[in-house]
Amino acid sequence: MTAGKIAIVGAGPSGCFLAQSLLKSAPGLEVDLIDRLPVPYGLVRYGVAADHQGTKGVARQFARVFERQGARFFGNVTLGRDITLEALRGAYDAVVLAAGLSQDRPLGIPGADLPGVHGAGTLTRALYDHPDAGGLPGLGPRPLIVGNGNVAIDLLRLLAKQPGELDGSDLGPVATGWLAQSGIEEITIAGRSPAAQAKFDTVMIKELAKLSGVSIRVLGAGSSDDPAEQKKIDAVQALDGIATGPRRVTFRFGLTPVAVVGHSHVEAVRFATDAGEEVVPCTSVLTAIGFGPSGDLPREALLADATDAGAGALAPGLYATGWFRRGPRGTIPDNRADAQALAARILDQLAPDPAKAGRAALAGLAQAVDYTGWTRIDAHEIKAAPEGRCRAKITTREEMLRLARHQETPQ
Amino acid sequence: MKITILYGTETGNAEMLAEDIQSELEGGHDVDCLNLSDMAPSDFDASRLFLLVCSTYGDGELPASAQPFAEAMAAEQPDLSALHFAIFGLGDSEYDETFNHGPKKLAELMQAHGAHQIGERVAHDASGADMAEDLAFPWAEEVIALAGAALGEAA
Repeated sequence: MTAGKIAIVGAGPSGCFLAQSLLKSAPGLEVDLIDRLPVPYGLVRYGVAADHQGTKGVARQFARVFERQGARFFGNVTLGRDITLEALRGAYDAVVLAAGLSQDRPLGIPGADLPGVHGAGTLTRALYDHPDAGGLPGLGPRPLIVGNGNVAIDLLRLLAKQPGELDGSDLGPVATGWLAQSGIEEITIAGRSPAAQAKFDTVMIKELAKLSGVSIRVLGAGSSDDPAEQKKIDAVQALDGIATGPRRVTFRFGLTPVAVVGHSHVEAVRFATDAGEEVVPCTSVLTAIGFGPSGDLPREALLADATDAGAGALAPGLYATGWFRRGPRGTIPDNRADAQALAARILDQLAPDPAKAGRAALAGLAQAVDYTGWTRIDAHEIKAAPEGRCRAKITTREEMLRLARHQETPQ
Repeated sequence: MKITILYGTETGNAEMLAEDIQSELEGGHDVDCLNLSDMAPSDFDASRLFLLVCSTYGDGELPASAQPFAEAMAAEQPDLSALHFAIFGLGDSEYDETFNHGPKKLAELMQAHGAHQIGERVAHDASGADMAEDLAFPWAEEVIALAGAALGEAA
């Protein structure tokens, strides 16, 4: 069996899929997943929409990586604060950065810093009870979503839903109340590209046909000679005229934001269009135009100096995978394929050094939460789920740490 | 009974279930487990029962690992008229229009080449309350019992 010690920074889907793949090929490896949060699974827990529990089902695979394949979890460990990247590289035969991309890409136009402009990542972290998130802002009666990807559609769907449509989700009580009292009358979703090239998946669009309290209009979806593009257009166009309730939803395409307009708060967005310019009034702007690095790691420099950035090889013994390597594109299974390819490369290049300390280098970190700690948090969250919810997430680090350390009632 | 489990997967969930079914059946049967991407149509052996486990991806399409298999079937046009298979689907009713279309396509592909389906196609719903294995284990037992006669041996 292959020996060797591998540390993965980030216990989200990319890191977990990598550990799964490494340990499947080489069960003798020591694989440790380090995460700055006390809880694992990253985007699956805090990015996948609360009402997409089926998608979150991949977490069952990840649980097995720890429970059966022998990977170890070191939660509540922040790279740079608790251990440096250099120290980690010194202790492990290979280190893989799978930290994802969590910062909202800024709009970068005049007025983008006006109050009332919110990034989708910031907003969804608040909606999904991320412990580092701020409060939920008021959006007013007419929020405008800028973006044409799956994140934009997730936001649209959540904002458009009636309370009963969130049954079975893990949306917390604060977000549930916030949505129920949002007072939203009209949601406009504006994409820069024409509908033919919109980045969202067709299934995400078809799902919107089930909304029970909306009146949907689709403007300027256009047409295409390409069958795949036309299929996408048809899916959006099929939403036009749906009238199940009073909340208006308007799809717009080919609108490039030029400026956010307002005095002390957002009042409108000025767009460039094929026909010239158009000003769309709104009470808040939600940007869903991609993600960038959080700044904890020098991603740009690491990628610029990489031996083979396309394959995830940054330097001898240092790798990157998932969004951290490829940028904010691709779904969870795309990143699984990425992780599998990288696992093969790592195993091919691995030259285990028995002198490496491995996880002993993390032993002094008293604040680290192990997998057993997470199972205590998990069990508590599932047990505490109220009627209509599958889980009640713990919302603060303090409470997570308290639960992780204390055995609750026997299971 | 000689059994081969073939899985078509995109997220790995179908692969995990296939491996679980293998573990469950191993005690009483001779069981292989293989990714559809590694299965050549010429490798089908009519003395074995084939248990297919398949998800749906994208807009009702076959999952990534089943696609090269579907292409190979189209290219090679194998005669599977002596073959018996059963199929278990994984899907998510959140996407109701295309729910379990992947396994449906795979079953149709097998049948189009003459293979005989045993039992009903069972579908697990990721947005439902059941664990996939809680549906899949009884399904496997049932189709193995049904297949006994077809394959000319006792289950």
